[in-house]
Amino acid sequence: MTEATIIDSRGSACPGPITDLARAYRNSKVGDLLELWATDKGVQADTAAWAKKTGNEILEVKVDPDKIVVKIKINKR
Amino acid sequence: MEKVLIIGGGGGGLILANHLPRKDFDVTVIDKDEYHYYQPWFLYVAFQGSRRKIWKPIASLLKPGIRFVKDEISEINLDERKVYGTRKTTYDYDKIIIATGTSPDPDSIPGLREIYNEYGDYHSNVQNSLKLWEHIKNFKGGTVALGQAGPVCKCPPSLLEGAFQLEEYLKKKNLKDKTKIKFFTPFPRAYPAEQMNKVVEPMVEERGIEVMTFFDVDTIDTKNKVISSIEGDSINYDLPIIVPPCKGTKIRIVPEKVKNPDRFIITDKKTMRIEGYDNAFAIGDVNTVPTSKTGVTAHLEAQVVSNLLQGVYDEFTGRINCPFDTAYGKATFVIADYENPVVPYPPTRIKHIMKMSMARIYWMTLKGQADPIFDYYFDFTNPKKLNEKYATEA
Ligand SMILES: Cc1cc2nc3c(=O)[nH]c(=O)nc-3n(C[C@H](O)[C@H](O)[C@H](O)COP(=O)(O)OP(=O)(O)OC[C@H]3O[C@@H](n4cnc5c(N)ncnc54)[C@H](O)[C@@H]3O)c2cc1C
Repeated sequence: MTEATIIDSRGSACPGPITDLARAYRNSKVGDLLELWATDKGVQADTAAWAKKTGNEILEVKVDPDKIVVKIKINKR
Repeated sequence: MEKVLIIGGGGGGLILANHLPRKDFDVTVIDKDEYHYYQPWFLYVAFQGSRRKIWKPIASLLKPGIRFVKDEISEINLDERKVYGTRKTTYDYDKIIIATGTSPDPDSIPGLREIYNEYGDYHSNVQNSLKLWEHIKNFKGGTVALGQAGPVCKCPPSLLEGAFQLEEYLKKKNLKDKTKIKFFTPFPRAYPAEQMNKVVEPMVEERGIEVMTFFDVDTIDTKNKVISSIEGDSINYDLPIIVPPCKGTKIRIVPEKVKNPDRFIITDKKTMRIEGYDNAFAIGDVNTVPTSKTGVTAHLEAQVVSNLLQGVYDEFTGRINCPFDTAYGKATFVIADYENPVVPYPPTRIKHIMKMSMARIYWMTLKGQADPIFDYYFDFTNPKKLNEKYATEA
């Protein structure tokens, strides 16, 4: 099982977690697992729109008290 | 006396150097360039042809007693506390601060080097900004493709600022009807932070700027003048205004693991310490701190490190304060910190005057002479307070 690359975006308000995700996507390959950690509430809608546009998959969204964790599988690159 | 070595005489490096008391610290600043540049003005060089002199010798910006050495650093060994310059010079230190900013990387995208050399850009240097102005000045109409070629960039507002400046210029020159401005961005909307996007999106629409979202540049076909994205879209252009991807430092650092794949230095977001080292820090654009890459953050991070070096407890709050020129004489600021989201702060004329005056106060800021003004300003514009006022109104 591939280990997920953790992208820690907690505290990032601007430009925000989606920047970190876009950067990680650039450096990724098909089959990679990414785990985006964020505190910015917009992250759920943004990653959903991103996944739809790029053809990648959101495996899980977990809302912890201190962070939102979005697990992503790279299917297209 | 503690020997402090600062690599990079940009905003971060100079502010830190000038804040350390000379009686306790032996400070050396090393930069590959003899001059320091006021980068925010690149915007007005490129889009208005401004000839303002925005550079000063680094040595003249340091308080007496601080050493300046012009040298390009090629290697830093954090385990042996040694730094190597180009002419085989070696420097040692008790404390090191890396403040080398970013480097543009036009070679990571096929076709971009050609555009970079021919058209210039408004993020890299004065020459490139002047080159871009030549093209804008001679532009007679067609499609302008404007945007960032990679997700990481200095000063996030500067992208839309470019589009707004261009639109105002074209309008004045009566070229608006003959031109299409296509603004591309790897993000879901014109401005990445949603709260600020709400403020500026109506202006983008009203001015007829077409936004292409989720457009992360993959390749550029310079023969057929087409930009293609990783997501599978494309833009045909007549005039390309492309900010190259931003990377960290080319300096070889031992151990290598302190750099991320884009060569930024992995840094603690509150203390600016390089992971695993008590005596090594990275400030400003070169670090991985999760804020936008701006002079203001470099400034605040430098103050934190200055305090920590003097044994005074301090931590960086993640405060950002990016001026955002929305053209036609108005501006706003993108304000937030680690705890508080971006304020939906409306553009006004006063804020534009503030942005413009910064170009004059800037040189004083570097020496710490404007600290009282800034302390007052930062308190007055505390993001928590501002959000209480503006976030509810929005
Ligand atoms: C168009 C534009 C508009 C902007 N607008 C704003 C704004 O309105 N407000 C704001 O706060 N910020 C703004 N910024 C961002 C701001 O300019 C940068 O964030 C700031 O300059 C970062 O400071 P720094 O000290 O980290 O790096 P820099 O100022 O880039 O300095 C790095 C220094 O390190 C030196 N160096 C690099 N490599 C080496 C080496 N190997 N050896 C020796 N020396 C080396 C360089 O020569 C340079 O002098 C803008 C930027 C641009 C491009």
